[in-house]
Amino acid sequence: MQAVGRQHRVLVTGMGIVSPLGLDLSSNLRSLVDASDAVAWVRNFDVTKTRCKTAAQIPDGCLEDALGRRRSRLHRGARMAGMALREACDSAKGSTPELIVVGTTSGGMSFGETYYRRLLATKSRKGLARLVGNYTPQKSILDALEANRLRIPAQIVANACSSGSNAIGHGFELVRHGLRTCVACGGYDTLCELVFVGFDSLQAATPEKIRPFDKNRSGLVLGEGAAFLILESEQYAVHRGAMALAEIVGYGVSTDTYHLTQPHPSGIGPKLAMQRALESAGLAAGAIDYVNAHGTATVFNDATEGAAISELCGRVPVSSTKSMMGHALGAAGAIEAAFSVLALSEQFLPPNINFVEPDPTWKFEVIGNNSRAARINHVLSNSFGFGGTNATLVLKSV
Amino acid sequence: MNLFIQGIGAVTPLGPTALQTWLPLCEEQQAPKRLMANAVADRKYFACMVPGKFVSEAARQPRLRRSGTISLLGAAAGFDAFADAGLKPGGDLSDRIAVVFAICSGGINYTRRLYHEIVTQGANAASPLLFPETVYNAAASHLAALLDVDGQSYTLVGDSSVGLSALHFATELLMMQPELDRCLVVGTEEADWLLSDAFASWRMATNQDRFEVYGRTYGTIFGEGAAALLIGRTGTLEISRSSPGLPFFSVRQSESVAAELFGNLLIEEPPEMIVSSANGTFADEVERKVFGRLSPLIPVYAPKPAVGEALGASALFQVAVAGLALRHQQLPGTLCAGFKLPSVNRETRSLVASSALVTCVGFNQQVNAAKLRLT
Repeated sequence: MQAVGRQHRVLVTGMGIVSPLGLDLSSNLRSLVDASDAVAWVRNFDVTKTRCKTAAQIPDGCLEDALGRRRSRLHRGARMAGMALREACDSAKGSTPELIVVGTTSGGMSFGETYYRRLLATKSRKGLARLVGNYTPQKSILDALEANRLRIPAQIVANACSSGSNAIGHGFELVRHGLRTCVACGGYDTLCELVFVGFDSLQAATPEKIRPFDKNRSGLVLGEGAAFLILESEQYAVHRGAMALAEIVGYGVSTDTYHLTQPHPSGIGPKLAMQRALESAGLAAGAIDYVNAHGTATVFNDATEGAAISELCGRVPVSSTKSMMGHALGAAGAIEAAFSVLALSEQFLPPNINFVEPDPTWKFEVIGNNSRAARINHVLSNSFGFGGTNATLVLKSV
Repeated sequence: MNLFIQGIGAVTPLGPTALQTWLPLCEEQQAPKRLMANAVADRKYFACMVPGKFVSEAARQPRLRRSGTISLLGAAAGFDAFADAGLKPGGDLSDRIAVVFAICSGGINYTRRLYHEIVTQGANAASPLLFPETVYNAAASHLAALLDVDGQSYTLVGDSSVGLSALHFATELLMMQPELDRCLVVGTEEADWLLSDAFASWRMATNQDRFEVYGRTYGTIFGEGAAALLIGRTGTLEISRSSPGLPFFSVRQSESVAAELFGNLLIEEPPEMIVSSANGTFADEVERKVFGRLSPLIPVYAPKPAVGEALGASALFQVAVAGLALRHQQLPGTLCAGFKLPSVNRETRSLVASSALVTCVGFNQQVNAAKLRLT
C-alpha cells in the first residue's frame, strides 16, 4: 500500500455541465444569471395520478446525437454523462485523469422500467437484453468513458442525494493526499417514473412551484443532469501549464441515523458535515461568502439545513439553485459544485427563485429571485440525502 | 502503509456466519436451491436463498423491522465480522470507524413490488414504506445506525466486482484519514425472480439447476447473502494489494484487461492460491486463459457453484474465503468444475500458504483483483 505524504492544493482545471438550464457551461451560466426557471410538465411518463406534475427535464432531442449516431441507443444517462465529461476534459485542455469518481442514485432505471412494462405486456423477454445490459448505474459511466476514449477505473458512489458531493469529496481527498494527481469526478442522474412516484408517495414532491427557504415552501420538484470536474494537484497543473477555475479546500461528511428519510430535527447532521468541511478547509465559518444550499424546499430539509446554516454562518447569503432546475439527486451535488465554481469565477451570487416570504426562523439572507454581482472568495456547497448521508464541500476562488 | 483484515463475517445460503459457511465449503457441500416463480411469466429459475432463521437476530432490531432482505443480510454479516475480530461495536470504536457497502442490484424485491404497484394499480397506489428501502444506500444507513456511526458511510455500486472496488475504497479512506481506526466493508445482495429472468434474457443466467465452471458456459444461478470485512491498521492477514479495477468496454477486451491486471499480481511474488469469480459465464473463459498462461500451477478455487452468484456480495465473499483459507491452511474443492482449467482445485486439501489472489471479472464493468498475505 502506498503511504500518504504531504497535502497538496487541489485545483479545478476543467468542468462540464448538462442540465435543464443548459447543455454546456456557458448556457448554464447565462441561465443562472438570468434566474431561469426550467421546471415544466413531465413529458416522459404519465403523471395523471400523482400530486406533483412537474420536473426540470433535458429534452431528448438535445441528447440524441450527443455522442454520435452509433451511441444513440444508449441510455440518456450515458449521453448526459458523456457530454458533460467531454466538456470537462476539453476545458481542462490536455489533462489525463487517472480515475473517475461518480455519484448517482438510479443510473439507467428508466430502462429497467421499460423492461418490466414490456414483460408485463407480452410475458416475453425477447429483444429486451439491451435494456438489461444498459440499465445498471455503472454502464452509463463506462459508455461515457468509452465515448471519451478514457480507459480508467471508475468508482461509483450511490449515497442517495449527496452522491455527487461525495464523489467530488473523495476525488478531492485522493488528490489532496497525493494518492492521485488528476481525477475526474462528478455525478449524473436521469428522471424516471419509479423515483418520481416514490417522492410523490412520500408527499415530499410539491404540486406547486418549488420555493426553497420560503416560509410557505411545500416540497421539491425533481430534475436531472450531469456534471464533472477535473481535479488536479497544483504541482501537476502548474507542470502542464493548466489554468485553474477554482480550488477545492474542504470536504466534510456526516451520517444522521435518526431515520431513513427524515433528518434529525435539531439539524445536527447538516451541522456536523458543515463543521467538518470547515475544519478540513482550516476556515472559520465567518470566512464563507456564499452558501449553495441543498435547499430541497421540503419542510424538514429546509428546517434542519436552515437551522444549521443560521447557527454556523449567521447572516451569510444563501440560495438553492434547485429552485431553477429541480433536484437532480445523485447529480445535484456535482452540478451545484460546478455552479459554485461559476459563482467564484464570475463573482456573482446565483438566485433562489420563486421566493416570496422569508421564514423568520433563520438569520441568513436568501438571495431572492435575482442574481447579483458580489465579491466572493469562499463558497460552501451542501448536499444531503436519504439514509442520513450529508456532504459539504468548500470551494475557493483562485 | 499496512492494512489488515481483522474480522471476517458472512451470511450465506450455507451458514449464518463466516465460520459456519467455511465448514460446509470444506465438506464440499452445495447450498440448497429454491425454485423461484412469478405470475408475470411462467419461466422458473433456481436460486440459492438464505434461510430466514440465519438473519433472525438482525430482524429483531427495531430499525430493521420494515427493511428489505438486503439490509438484514448486510447487518448480520457486519456483526459477524465484529464478533470474529473479538470486538463489540459502539462507544469509542464507532467514533473511529467508516462503513463502506458494495451493492449491485440493491433492494430488488421492494423495487419490483413498488414498480408493479405503480404499473398495475396506478401511481397513487405506490407505497411510501417501500420506496425508501429501494434506495441503494438503505442497507448502509441501517447498519451505520445499528453501529452508532455518525461519520462516514459510503455505498459503492457496480457489477459482481464491486466488492473489490469497495475494499480498495476502504483502504483509501484509511490511508488518508489517521482519525479512522477501521473500516467495515460489507457486500450484500438479495435474490429475486426478476433478476434471474433479466439476466437470462442477457444469456448470463440459466434456468437449469446447476452450472458448470471452467467448462460449458450456459449462465449462472443467483444466490444471495452478505460478506463483511473489518479492516484495520494491525493484524496478521494483510491486504497486500488492492485496486479500483480496470474497465472493459466489450467481452472481447476483457481478456487483455484481465491479463494486464492479474498479470502484475501473478508474476511479482506469485500467490499460492487463487480464489476466482468463475460463475458459468464468459468470465470463466477470461480467467481460464489468463491463469492457463500466467499461473498454470497455482491452485484455483471457485466458490460460486457452492453458494450461487450473489453479485454485490460475491467479490467480498471471495476475499472472505481467501482469508479463511489462509487462516485454516486449507483450500476447499471446487464443485461442478469442468475440464478446461487443469489447475482448478477439485478436492478439499490442506496446503501451506501465505498468500492468496482474489480475482473478479464482472458482468459489464470491471476486472479487479486483490491480494492477501499472512504475515
